[in-house]
Amino acid sequence: MKRSIRFSDRLANWLPRLVLTPSLLVVLVAVYLFIAWTGWISLSSSNIVPRYDFVGLEQYVRLWSTPRWHTAVANLFIFSSLFLGLTTGLGLLMAILLDQRIRAEGALRAIFLYPMALSFIVTGTAWKWILNPALGVQKVVNDAGWTSFVFDWISQPRFAIYCVVIAAVWQSTGFAMAIFLAGLRGIDNSVIKAAQIEGAGLPLIYRTIIVPMLRPAFLSVIVLLSYVAIKSFDLILALTNTGPGSATEMPSTFMYAATFRRDQMGVGAASAMMMLMTVAAIIVPYLYSELKETRDGC
Amino acid sequence: MNRPKNILLATALALTFAGQAMAQTTIEGLHVWTSASEVGALKVLTDKLATMGFVWQDSAVGGANGANAQQALRTRVAAGNPPAVMQFLGFEGLGWAKEGALRSLNDLYNKNGWQADLPPVMLQFLKQGDDFFATPINMHRQNWVWANKAVFDKAGITPPKSWEELIADGDKLKAIGVTPIAMSDEGWQIEELFESIVTDVNGPDFYKKAIIDLDDEALSGPEMVKAFDLLGKVRGLHDAGYTGRDWAAASAMVANGQAGMQIMGDWAKGEFLAKGMKPGIDFLCFPTPTATPNYKFVFDTFGGFKINNPKINSGQDAVAEAMMDPEVEKNFNLIKGSIPARTDVSMDAFDDCAKRSFADRAEAIKNNAMWGSVTDGFAVEPRFSGVFLDVVGKFFVSDMTSQDAAKALVDGINNAR
Repeated sequence: MKRSIRFSDRLANWLPRLVLTPSLLVVLVAVYLFIAWTGWISLSSSNIVPRYDFVGLEQYVRLWSTPRWHTAVANLFIFSSLFLGLTTGLGLLMAILLDQRIRAEGALRAIFLYPMALSFIVTGTAWKWILNPALGVQKVVNDAGWTSFVFDWISQPRFAIYCVVIAAVWQSTGFAMAIFLAGLRGIDNSVIKAAQIEGAGLPLIYRTIIVPMLRPAFLSVIVLLSYVAIKSFDLILALTNTGPGSATEMPSTFMYAATFRRDQMGVGAASAMMMLMTVAAIIVPYLYSELKETRDGC
Repeated sequence: MNRPKNILLATALALTFAGQAMAQTTIEGLHVWTSASEVGALKVLTDKLATMGFVWQDSAVGGANGANAQQALRTRVAAGNPPAVMQFLGFEGLGWAKEGALRSLNDLYNKNGWQADLPPVMLQFLKQGDDFFATPINMHRQNWVWANKAVFDKAGITPPKSWEELIADGDKLKAIGVTPIAMSDEGWQIEELFESIVTDVNGPDFYKKAIIDLDDEALSGPEMVKAFDLLGKVRGLHDAGYTGRDWAAASAMVANGQAGMQIMGDWAKGEFLAKGMKPGIDFLCFPTPTATPNYKFVFDTFGGFKINNPKINSGQDAVAEAMMDPEVEKNFNLIKGSIPARTDVSMDAFDDCAKRSFADRAEAIKNNAMWGSVTDGFAVEPRFSGVFLDVVGKFFVSDMTSQDAAKALVDGINNAR
């Protein structure tokens, strides 16, 4: 009797580890091993195929001497901050408005969430036409009589990146809204009622009570959308193809071009490592602070 | 009939078919040809292979200007499973040959004397060290202007004799409400325009020195600045909707009279022919205007990977022999819109644009005025041609000065060395 209890105890102890081992191995090989491999390639002179020699930081120097890479890095920051800010802000606003027990909420929710069901390729192609001055918005307004109206951001190197932001925000806002809405629904109504009894108006209740209570929803939205922002590769290719004049280059498109089109595998690997470090530098502290507080709080 | 007999019969039949299938070797070819004319042209080659006893297994990977196919190839080679033959453009084949991945075709070249049948300047893309590794099938000319005849007549203009004249003609086209030049803001399309200008204004020798040999002084010199100045003047000659336009859409604008002309390689010809238009009657083809005639080329080759299987190897040889067959080259190019790589093929069956291309090429070979184009990877290795695309593309859409552009070229090239 005693022995069998000890055995099942031991099994209960080991079972989770046993079950997790295969996926852990896959992650170790497919993610971490290849990160290490990419790091190694970035220190080699690899061009068309991997070459396992050592040239120090030469590829990093070359990378940072490429003006297109500077454009890519700047664009990543412009795009990510605007995309995250706008999507989170608009998504939260829409969720709060939808949460006011309005009619046809289900239908509206589906409509707002629908763009998320499209691939970035479809979004990019559609917005490429909508934003083209000779086909889209500008033409419609011009034909309607306002002939001096100009909206040609997509052909202006300085503004083209904002076109990418517009398309990405259009696609992802519904997703942020859905998560915030779920968060709002999880908040106990009695909290709001108590605040109302104390005489607080709705704006104050939202600002000081509800939005702070949505913190876990913010975490999910920001983490998931940052990852969308960094892998925005297909949107760029479909919408602007990194043009006009490389003005909408992103680190991901840069890496693809260097590795597969320009036979600069070493530079491509160096850019991938830079992307990894950037993501780690931003996301890791954020995750750490968020998760640490939850652990302390509970 | 009783059962065992049936089984025997079935087995016998199965064995017969299996035997037939064994006799024919399958040759896998990885390529980027997916459009109607490309697929049609490829069929000429694969039909020839069938008569030689080889079955062509088609692996077409289209999209992204060949980058998808390159990615597929890299994956296959890394996995130790390369295709029997692979289509190469420009330096792609040389890169693989340098890695020692390609089979030598020296025996075939020596036996057939193919070197003598090809324009000499082509050989550098077919040979690494002492080894031939690929065979060509066609040649496209890149520095063409395609014009709508009716529009030209209405504006009262004829094919211009210089770039200054071409740019001035733009105003006449604007006056009759037509977009002078149908184009796109894509880097490679602007680069096509730019390299035509560089060669036409400064001569083919300068092109060789600055762009093929990447000479610092020539790259940043006054000739280059002058070429950028001229390119800058083209800015006013396109329409507002040129963002991200496909080259074929630009050809369509010329074909239906919305635009006067397009500067594009002769793959554009198919777009006009497909609309039932006739060269010289409905549309015009003439080389980009210059006082120093030159010929900018692009061509397709296939090379075979080293595979330890004599049957596959004989199939790789068969592909090379079929490609260099004059009759195959003729019929292939009648469909594809290019001209034969061989210089000894009769051009009687071809249209006037192709005949002009063939005649101009013969002249350019004599005058040493024939060079590969940057855009399609026949001038410099991809890491350098990328710099040209970046700088020229950026120059065209921004307010960068010609001097800054020339300097950015030199800096970019030196960084990529």
